[in-house]
Amino acid sequence: MLVKNKWKSSLALLLAGALALTGCASNANSNQSNKNKGTSMTIAYSDGGQTLDPAEAGDLTSDTLTMNAYDQLVTYGVKTVDGNQKANTEDIKPMLAKEWKASPDGKTYTFTLQDNAKFHSGNPVNAESVVYSMDHVKNSQNGSFMYKMASIKKVTAKDEKTVVVELERPNHLFLQMVAMYTFSVIDSKEMKGKGKDYLKTNTAGSGPYKVEKWDPASEAVLTANANYWQGAPKVSKVTMKFIKEPSNRVMLLNKGDVDLAIEIPPKDVDSIKQNAKLNVTSTPSNRILYFAFDQKVKPFDNVKVRQAINYAIPYDQLVHDVMYDQAKQLKSSIPSSMPGYTEEGFVYKHDLNKAKQLLKEAGLSNGFTFDFTLGSGFDDWKDDAVLIQAELQKIGVKMNIKPMARPEFLTGVDQRTLTSYISKWTSFVNDPGYHLGLLLYSKGSSNAFGYNNPQVDKLWEQAELEKDQQKREGLYKQMQVLINADAPWAYLYEYNRVIGAKKEVKGYVTYPDECIRFFPLSK
Amino acid sequence: MAGYIMRRLLYMIPGFIGIILITFVLSRVLPGDPAVMIAGEQAPPDVVAKIRVDLGLDQPIYIQFMDYAKKLFQGDFGIAWHTGHTVLQDFASRFPATIELTLSSIFIAILVAIPVGIIAAVKKESILDHISRIFSLIGACVPLFWLGLMLIFLFYSKWDILPAPMGRISEGINPPTSITGLYLLDSLLSGDMIAFKDSLMHLILPAICLSTGTMAIIARMMRSSMLEVIGQDYIRTARAKGMRESQVIMKHALSNAFIPTLTLLGLQFGFLIGGAVITETIFSWPGVGGYITDSILSTDYAPIQAFTLISAIVFSLVNLIVDLLYGVLDPRIRYE
Repeated sequence: MLVKNKWKSSLALLLAGALALTGCASNANSNQSNKNKGTSMTIAYSDGGQTLDPAEAGDLTSDTLTMNAYDQLVTYGVKTVDGNQKANTEDIKPMLAKEWKASPDGKTYTFTLQDNAKFHSGNPVNAESVVYSMDHVKNSQNGSFMYKMASIKKVTAKDEKTVVVELERPNHLFLQMVAMYTFSVIDSKEMKGKGKDYLKTNTAGSGPYKVEKWDPASEAVLTANANYWQGAPKVSKVTMKFIKEPSNRVMLLNKGDVDLAIEIPPKDVDSIKQNAKLNVTSTPSNRILYFAFDQKVKPFDNVKVRQAINYAIPYDQLVHDVMYDQAKQLKSSIPSSMPGYTEEGFVYKHDLNKAKQLLKEAGLSNGFTFDFTLGSGFDDWKDDAVLIQAELQKIGVKMNIKPMARPEFLTGVDQRTLTSYISKWTSFVNDPGYHLGLLLYSKGSSNAFGYNNPQVDKLWEQAELEKDQQKREGLYKQMQVLINADAPWAYLYEYNRVIGAKKEVKGYVTYPDECIRFFPLSK
Repeated sequence: MAGYIMRRLLYMIPGFIGIILITFVLSRVLPGDPAVMIAGEQAPPDVVAKIRVDLGLDQPIYIQFMDYAKKLFQGDFGIAWHTGHTVLQDFASRFPATIELTLSSIFIAILVAIPVGIIAAVKKESILDHISRIFSLIGACVPLFWLGLMLIFLFYSKWDILPAPMGRISEGINPPTSITGLYLLDSLLSGDMIAFKDSLMHLILPAICLSTGTMAIIARMMRSSMLEVIGQDYIRTARAKGMRESQVIMKHALSNAFIPTLTLLGLQFGFLIGGAVITETIFSWPGVGGYITDSILSTDYAPIQAFTLISAIVFSLVNLIVDLLYGVLDPRIRYE
């Protein structure tokens, strides 16, 4: 008995102590008056993001956070395609730079900054901060290659509001690249005395939103920058909720608990369309999917074998059965929304007889066996692989599917140790020069398949120096025709970017980097 | 007693060293290069190589280990590149959520399983016993992710009884003043009934989901050990004294039958931490479970190593406490 009483009394004492410590009078929710000020919007994202540093960002959530907290020197125009608003990457518009001038040799750009643009701290946006930001990209881990790719040589502040950028060589991609989140303009005055790491978890921008809270485990809260130099945003608070499970994102949207959800699984699009309160925006993205073969490995070194595989792919089945029509058959090495796209020379269709005949011509009428690596993380890849395997079986080709975890898969691609695989690619810079230069130019850093056509290389190098856009696109078209004949990949499909939103949400614009700009949103 | 505890604590150290070594080696032997993951698909090889050097991944593995061990000894668990924070910061913000979830699921499991096990044993072969057996079987077999999704579908989507699976508390409601980091306890301590009710509503589904496996196993264990005890002589004696059956069971049988169950509870703790990984991902619960899933998927070594080590420490301590509790339940057990 005595023991029991002792327990009870000490428990009571503990509770009383705790209550005294915290005070019962006020708590976090006793003052409810600060709720519901202005319009707010909740958006369901999938991943929590990795950094707030624009030069290091490389995943959709980090990109979106930086895109909204920072401004860039220039931005893309907007056009309407099929009733949806879409970025027009060929039309460069002013942002922090109100105007710019390129020298006749195309090697020097002079930007004049906006007079009224201010950072969140209240500091004016000046030439010095642009110089600082460019240096930051140059010295960054992930962004440094963009800096090189933009061919920037030197950035100098001519006066308070004038910045001069010298390039190594004329580069038609320069302005398009400067519009990317990587080249966000950072408040250099605010950064004084703070290490580079400060930007990983804090922002110092001039963008329409301030990142109030960022917890990769649960949510990010962005509040409107009321003093934004382009006017205060219409939505005063945006909450990004990180919901990994796709079916939960769909459920939350259907129930009205979020205003917008990204990365809707293709199979759920119909169920959302049936909901009268919701809209689905499904627009072609720059994300393409292809079946790659290592062309240094037999028998893929033979163009006829590669063509045969191209004839064996069940294109319609992939788009319809696997992707529920939330994708489009890919008919060139570049996505269809890229300038200079052409389907010329794309002759392939699902035709097993033709495939067999090509194999026979290649001296492989009995077929052959090869290893295929299936990277984890994407449900559609697995279905694609199984369907392709079944078709290849019919022409006597045995495809051994070997599943592999994503980190190992990426390492394998990087070190060129895989014979064949399916992979996706998103070109953030909406230009064939960037896209083909990385993937199919023989010296391209992401050309992991050993594709090497000197003619293609020559055309690409020629296009790099060509200032006239029309002529350049002509050269890219010639390249695509050659590539189509060489069949370095089997093209599978281009993904749609699928966004579900409440009907009252307006102002959504699709960008090639897939980040949502919150500034034009309203509800 | 104190000597015993000290000895036990000392014995743990070689185990921890082994765990540190194995986790370190395993995470590096497995294929997959973090530098490639950090750089992303479009980065050229020189960027990847630079990252590898920055992270020290170009060094031989024993030098990497020495570096790691040295830092670990100073209490530095390293930086999680996939969040940009130090591992300690990440754990500090997430661990309370996991502890709250794990403790509540243990609480639910005990609350349900012990009475069910006792009733099943006392009313052996009755209809109640059969029902409990069927439910235990289902509970032990049902996959967590399926159960989680079903619970969300039914209680949130279809019937609208419980809030959306989005974290620990609703938007618009402030989390309670932080004292322990456990929302339920903190809101009670600060007398914040709004936060208490809301966080309870958020906690119910994931806690039930996580508790099912443990609940089933404990119920079965409780039943069988109870049956064993009931058959013993001293119970017959107690009954012969004319004690009421309820007193016989609760007073004489339970404390003896509880010892094997207690052992199981200690072991289940490890299972619960593992199960939290799946449950947290499904319910978007901001704990270490989801964090570790992300770390594994992105080959982020530092958090994986820290999580394994911290889990091992917690697991060992819990089991030490369990061993000490034997002595409380059974006066014959003494630790010297």
